[in-house]
Amino acid sequence: MEIRHGLISADSHVVLDKDAFTNRMSQGQWGDRIPHVVEVEDNGRLVHRWSVDGRVARSRGVCNCPAVIDDPLRNRYPERWEDVPAKAFVPLERLKALDDDGVDAEVLFPNDPGSFYQYKDAAFELACVRAYNDALADWRDASDRFIPLAMIPMLGSIEAVVAEVERAAKAGHHGIVMLSEPSTIVGGLKHVGDDYWYPLWDACQSLSMHVHVHASGGLGGILTVPPWSGYTPHQAHAAYTIPTAAWPAQLIPTLIFSGVTERFPGLKWVFAETGIGSINYVRAGCDHEWERRSLWTEGILTRPSEVVQRQMYVNFWYEVAGIEFRHEIGLSNIMWESDYPHIASTYPDSRKFVERSLGGIPTEERSRLLFENAVGLYGLEVQESVGAARSMDR
Amino acid sequence: MELRHGLISVDDQVQEHPRVWTDRMSASRWGDRIPHVERLSDGTDRWVIDGQPAGADGVASAGALLADRASTPGTWQDVPAAAYLAEERLRAMDADGVDYSVLYPTVAGEAGDVFGQLNDPELELACVRAYNDFLIEEWSTKNNRFIPQCIVPISPVEATVAEIRRAVGQGHRGVIYPAIPMHLRDVPHVNDDAYDPVWDVCQSLGVPICLHAGSSPKTRLPLHPKVSARLTGAIEAMTGPASGVFDVTNVLFSRILQRFPQLKVVFAGSTLGWATFLLEYADHQFEQDHCEGYDLKPSEMFRRQCLFTGWYDSVAPQIPFVGATSMMWATKFPATTSTWPETRAVIGRCFEGVGEADRAQVLWKNAADLYRL
Repeated sequence: MEIRHGLISADSHVVLDKDAFTNRMSQGQWGDRIPHVVEVEDNGRLVHRWSVDGRVARSRGVCNCPAVIDDPLRNRYPERWEDVPAKAFVPLERLKALDDDGVDAEVLFPNDPGSFYQYKDAAFELACVRAYNDALADWRDASDRFIPLAMIPMLGSIEAVVAEVERAAKAGHHGIVMLSEPSTIVGGLKHVGDDYWYPLWDACQSLSMHVHVHASGGLGGILTVPPWSGYTPHQAHAAYTIPTAAWPAQLIPTLIFSGVTERFPGLKWVFAETGIGSINYVRAGCDHEWERRSLWTEGILTRPSEVVQRQMYVNFWYEVAGIEFRHEIGLSNIMWESDYPHIASTYPDSRKFVERSLGGIPTEERSRLLFENAVGLYGLEVQESVGAARSMDR
Repeated sequence: MELRHGLISVDDQVQEHPRVWTDRMSASRWGDRIPHVERLSDGTDRWVIDGQPAGADGVASAGALLADRASTPGTWQDVPAAAYLAEERLRAMDADGVDYSVLYPTVAGEAGDVFGQLNDPELELACVRAYNDFLIEEWSTKNNRFIPQCIVPISPVEATVAEIRRAVGQGHRGVIYPAIPMHLRDVPHVNDDAYDPVWDVCQSLGVPICLHAGSSPKTRLPLHPKVSARLTGAIEAMTGPASGVFDVTNVLFSRILQRFPQLKVVFAGSTLGWATFLLEYADHQFEQDHCEGYDLKPSEMFRRQCLFTGWYDSVAPQIPFVGATSMMWATKFPATTSTWPETRAVIGRCFEGVGEADRAQVLWKNAADLYRL
């Protein structure tokens, strides 16, 4: 991969073609349960929606891609598949959009349909997850500018999880997408600190498959202030989105003090779409509590701020004041994200967002945040075309 | 007001002693339902409230005073006097350089959240009144360096208002309120205008509403049952302050501050670490979602009416965005997380790079204004 723009998005969302699952799952075995796009009536209009496990998804539109729809307010989601822009779901078309926006590469998180554990059938979940991971591996084959992250099956045995991680790593995936606290989200699953998950962490550590938690990581709507009828939809969205940004401030201490990071010191954790500024809280707070409680006597031998520096990564996209904390958070632990093509995406103005956040900070630091940290974390093989990259570095 | 040390600690805890409620509530009416201490078969003591064991473990929170700070006293005899006796507390404050101490409960919940979980509003009110009377009788009338704050019954609202009036009349200077009362029992959403009389009486009496972080397990990650008590304590000490982001966000979007522009809200136990982060994200999402119906951006609303409280963070980097007038300092005495008895040294470290004026603002001036000292 060539670094031409000097910018890598560490959090974007793939859009798979509508045939991605039907092409890859056994019609004989799964029939109509396979994720596919169906036509349904909605207020007198014929619209498309995803159908999974025979159930039509209740979603806004058929594709979550408001950033590539021509609407400055980003209120519109395509209702029919033919209205989904090719630059969302056709890999080579999407690369052109990346170039237009000055982005060299993007880490691909899921989009709808997903969360296949919700259908409560381990075999079906695994078949969907494998189809998803295979489809995403094809994106990687289309271009090494796509950095795919694998889904993992939540409902089967831990051996099944590990087997899928190993399979995905071979296929070119660079990490997994994980629920933030499984036992809170899926009945019957173990707590994130439980040794049940150790084989997974072990496999991820040895395969350099980094663990990614996106936004609330599935906690949204479960652990929250109850909904209030007095909000408009816009107010409600803001009021319920904002606190999700601080879940890493609870999850990282839970991982550190449950002994997970002590046991798996080479395992990397990435927190996407939560911003960066809760990490200085984690560093200062965990160090304080570790000292006050002499927790080295409890087997937590490493100072928590060193654990954070060693193993935790966060992404920014809008922060200006937060960037002032970059040295306290760790210059090597911060990456940039565009969230393409979701509502929060910086597309097509990523350069403006970058300037707004990083205007005035030294070139060497900019390069680290904008692409070098991602290159290092994901082990990307790059040829830097110096002139172009430096132009982004100003 | 007399300042000898230059610190008003705005978030300390009183440890209620075993007779706080039994001395003040009618035994004939309430019997065993009165909060009291029981000795268990294993020889340890435990608080029991309305027949239910209370508190995670131990009979008191006094880690800062114990040789093993992460431990909790097993019996009442093991509880150091500075936790529950005003006279001893004053000595501990002098040793640590604290002029005034703003008090929060322990057995009644740091956020005043424990009695709100009782399903009997009359019992709730009786427990609340006993605590509020105790704090005046045994602490604030003994020395004006203690700044008492009342707790309240969460429902019905008329009872909340009446108790606030009664308590402030007695000398209470702040109102401790659980940030998400509908997580405690089945009551209306806290943003509903049904609660306006509560905000109104606080505004008109000039007392702050104090929302202590960690009031609701439903905004915190659950604990891992296989982890030791000491490690569990550390995890709780981190998830509690971080859950304050839910409380702050809800207050900023509820429009309560807009309806009551003179109301002051203290986010006790918040830490300062995530202050800039949360306010900047709130502004960003506010604009991203095209939120209408507010006079000010969330960060502006916060700076006008709210305060964070810290005890171990670096202050200087938070000042440009949060503002020195929106932060206060605490020692958290006598909890395990407390900086006692090294508060002076910790302040020296945390205030590096902070000018004299801002330093005074955060360490005592904001509190002196807020509590009208």
